[in-house]
Amino acid sequence: MGKNKKVVPSAKFIKASEILKQKATRIREYEVIRKPEERQRLPIGVGSEYWIDEPEYIQAVKLKERLIREFEGEQLENTFAGQVVSNNFGECYCIQDVCSSHFKKVAYEQSKKRIISDLKLVYGIGPIWERRLKQQGYVTIENLREHPRWRSSALQFLELIEDNDVGSLQNWLWRCLPKSHPLVHYLASFCRDEDFALLDIETLGLFGRAIVLLGVAKPKKNSIDIHQYLLRDIADEPGALWEFISHLTEKTALITFNGRSFDVPFIRERLGFYGMVRPLNNPHFDLLHFSRRAWRDQLPDCQLGTLEKHLGVQRDVDIPSALVPEFYETYLKTGNVGPLVAIVEHNKQDLITMTSLFSKLYEAWNL
Amino acid sequence: MIEMFIQSLKRQESYKKQIEYVKEIPPHKACYAELEQPLQEVIQHYLDQKGIRLYSHQANAINKVRRGKNVIIVTPTASGKTLAFNIPVFEALIKDDKATMLYLYPTKALTNDQLQVLNEMEEAIGISVFPNVYDGDTVVHKRPSIRKHSRIILSNPYGIHQYLPWHYKWKRFFQNLKIIVIDETHMYRGVFGSNVAMLIRRLLRICQHYGSDPQLILSSATIANPKEHSKKLTGEDFEVVANDGSARGKKFFIFWNPPFIDETYTIRRSTHQETKDLFVQNILNKFQTLCFTVSRKMAELITRWSKESLKATSPRLANAITAYRAGYLPGERRVIEKGLRTKNLLGVTSTNALELGIDIGSLDSVIISGYPGTVISTWQQAGRAGRTTADSLVTLVAFQNPLDQYFMKHPQDFFDRSQEHAIIDLENPYIVMEHLMCASAELPLTRKDRKYFSALFEESIAALEKQILIRNTPNGWVYSGRVRPVSIVNLNNISNKIVTVTCNGDIIETMDLTKAYNEAHQGAVLLHQGESYIVEALNLETSTVKVRQEDVNYYTEPRKTVEIEIKKLHEEKHVGIDIGIGEVEVTEFFQYFVLKTYDEVIGRSALNLPPLGFSTIGMWFTLPEAIRKEIENQSLDFEGGLHAIEHAMIAMTPFYAMCDRWDIGGVSTLIHFDTGRPTIFIYDGYEGGIGISEKLYELVEHVFETTLRLIKDCECKEGCPSCIYSPKCGNENEPLDKKAAIIILDRVQKRIQNKKS
Repeated sequence: MGKNKKVVPSAKFIKASEILKQKATRIREYEVIRKPEERQRLPIGVGSEYWIDEPEYIQAVKLKERLIREFEGEQLENTFAGQVVSNNFGECYCIQDVCSSHFKKVAYEQSKKRIISDLKLVYGIGPIWERRLKQQGYVTIENLREHPRWRSSALQFLELIEDNDVGSLQNWLWRCLPKSHPLVHYLASFCRDEDFALLDIETLGLFGRAIVLLGVAKPKKNSIDIHQYLLRDIADEPGALWEFISHLTEKTALITFNGRSFDVPFIRERLGFYGMVRPLNNPHFDLLHFSRRAWRDQLPDCQLGTLEKHLGVQRDVDIPSALVPEFYETYLKTGNVGPLVAIVEHNKQDLITMTSLFSKLYEAWNL
Repeated sequence: MIEMFIQSLKRQESYKKQIEYVKEIPPHKACYAELEQPLQEVIQHYLDQKGIRLYSHQANAINKVRRGKNVIIVTPTASGKTLAFNIPVFEALIKDDKATMLYLYPTKALTNDQLQVLNEMEEAIGISVFPNVYDGDTVVHKRPSIRKHSRIILSNPYGIHQYLPWHYKWKRFFQNLKIIVIDETHMYRGVFGSNVAMLIRRLLRICQHYGSDPQLILSSATIANPKEHSKKLTGEDFEVVANDGSARGKKFFIFWNPPFIDETYTIRRSTHQETKDLFVQNILNKFQTLCFTVSRKMAELITRWSKESLKATSPRLANAITAYRAGYLPGERRVIEKGLRTKNLLGVTSTNALELGIDIGSLDSVIISGYPGTVISTWQQAGRAGRTTADSLVTLVAFQNPLDQYFMKHPQDFFDRSQEHAIIDLENPYIVMEHLMCASAELPLTRKDRKYFSALFEESIAALEKQILIRNTPNGWVYSGRVRPVSIVNLNNISNKIVTVTCNGDIIETMDLTKAYNEAHQGAVLLHQGESYIVEALNLETSTVKVRQEDVNYYTEPRKTVEIEIKKLHEEKHVGIDIGIGEVEVTEFFQYFVLKTYDEVIGRSALNLPPLGFSTIGMWFTLPEAIRKEIENQSLDFEGGLHAIEHAMIAMTPFYAMCDRWDIGGVSTLIHFDTGRPTIFIYDGYEGGIGISEKLYELVEHVFETTLRLIKDCECKEGCPSCIYSPKCGNENEPLDKKAAIIILDRVQKRIQNKKS
């Protein structure tokens, strides 16, 4: 398209587009909260995507100004260690990093034992039946192999365990138990370490807009390998999406924070936008669901920031997620990479926190 | 029976020659026709069971759809349009068990009505279709299953506007989409219609992406330009089905003009009182009657007054009447609709909410209290009266305004002329740009998409790129803003400045700044859904209007003066005098507003508003020196004549292009800076224009002719609200010279004729 002669819009069109831009700028998808008590009147369930405390907001505005000064005239390549990657769908900038972090999961045998000890995982067995069966000596699903009534469902389930089919097992558990049930978390022991991918995206807003950064982390022994696919411009989006997709195999188990409602449907929508349809039905451990179940009673809310404080994690430079769109917009408008520094760092921190959250959750379950 | 009733009206003591005209519309027999190919057995069986034989227009429509044509059906209310598109839809559903269909209605009430019909057809024909409504009221947990399983989805433009960005979730539905039915398309006109036209292009672009190319079936009230309108609305070519084959009994159409109550012949009796009396007479005669009123309040009041006057003598009849309006709960409305169908209700007063296709059966009599603004609406409302065999009655009761009075004086004009043109503007840069922005967030935009979005494509794209609202990428232009585009594009407005009206902190509506200047300035009485509010403040910085609810017995009108400048000439023609059309810059100065009861000014109050400027499309004509001299030689006021013509022309505009009074404005001047001659301008009241002036330019000879007749045939001597007085006039209707206006128009007329021959 660039080859064609550039059309210069007349004054009439410029005026109309300016009015449109004003409208688009005036709207914000979050609210700045001046006094803590104002938060009370927000509807229950409204999360940090929707409100920012005023001091935090002022700090972020100052940070943006500082970064813009600091990175005046800097090139993107010099700011972030990484390189341009390209594929059939386009290009993007890939930032690579290794961060120390402990990724722990429970041993396979221990998890397996916990799971097959829950007879309610066999279709038709409720709490009453379970109690009765346990009294009769059926302690695990294994014991039901010969049971005349529950045999066939038990065998089906055991076969999935035998096959290590995590995807089907997860769907099976989700049918029988709440999505946030600890056993769903224990299922992670059935995956190989190399099958995990932590995922966190940064976007221009809540759906219907571009993803500007896709962060993927692979847990290693005492560290995580981070790949961040950054859009140097909107044109890089399909390339970045494809880089992310190529991390996935059928066996990949995603770990996200609120990814079942946000990150994954968002990626699906963007793939649809570019006609690159993928189902993305991988096993998926959404830490928000587990965190709510584990700490709901001890914490005022289950935002990632609140959880970090609880776990004792510190962040240096950070911005509220809701301000990512404005930061990226400033970069697009000015070409100054300063605001990107804050976005990339924010995303990296989220991935690190998610890693420790995943591990710490096992301590929170009292089964 | 109807004839006897009319005779009895004339014999009454209160009769003062209100009947200006009675038109007898002869009955016509049903005209049936056979299809080129027989129907599938199950569908034929369904028709047989219901005792239905296809009328000629239905057969015609079905034949054309089967040949793969896009079809627009323009036949009157209750002629069986619904069946004409439901049959080919079900045929296609039977033939292809994956096929899906989309039905679009302008209102939610209509979708629900149609859903019942489709459910019934599905059951009778015995295939699984799962027709479902999918709109703002659809509960969230039902949505995935409707998207996955429904083969007919009914929705409205507001819904589609929100759902298009989620198209990947609708893949199955769009992939298999065979027919889009758009009903009541005459509703899609003006600003709303132009927005919907862009929306339909976005929809068709998504269909193309998923590999489908749905056929379009449109249905509309009778309009003057079905072919042009359907093409503009969708971008596709259509075949028109217009000849109504359904059976009609004889219909009497009365033009009823409230009598003068003063000796100078300038003031007439209240239209509302006349309406009430007529309604009571109809009810006493046991005619099942529907009375259309211009406001919700009048619908309620006429029912209340009628009940009071019937209570003493016929309490049973008093209980058989009720009011109906859009604000009622769906359940309440259902009861009234059913009451009409089962004939348990004898009389209903209603706003135009009952004008559209909701099934209420046919009635004996319809009273239209005040010309509804368009010939189309008048016929739609009149169509509610009339059974297949029996006689029926329609009574149009006039208000004392120019258009109502024009029809009272020229009733034959009403019957002879064709309906108005439904106007859609595809070249308003604001509208085009907004929808291009939305489209760029649905699928990358490429040059190939130009075919959907008119000649403004390149310039709009370039301007959007400049604002970084879209980015040029190898895949095409992609939305790059951070606000959900559909949330800032409102199908009812043009992207000028929008102001928000709040009452006790709750938003009650949004409107264009232009409209706010006219109707929501400080101290204005703002009518919203039939309730009156007082505007406490219009804050231009925050774009907000604060109002409080209060019942008052007056209304307000701003007084403004206008300056106009020609920016760019688009076209000119000489039809005997010189006519031009082009871009104009309008500046309106709002000086004060008046408080009025009925037509009497009871007070004035100053306004403190900066001038309102906007660029739009206007048409203008200049008058030759010779006419000016002639007028001045007769000691008449030439300026007053121009001013009178301007008012009358604006009053006559809705006669040609469907629009409301605030959609257009005018200026007349003895000498205009740009033309150097006496000039009259008429311009579209919206930023960027909306196509009305263009229509006037096209039809200008007719406009002159009817304007002259309006003024000449009015009974008044010096001019009155029925002809040259304008309720909007910024100069308190001064100067006005009726005689001068007649002579000027007459000379213009002669020049036009000379030019022709």
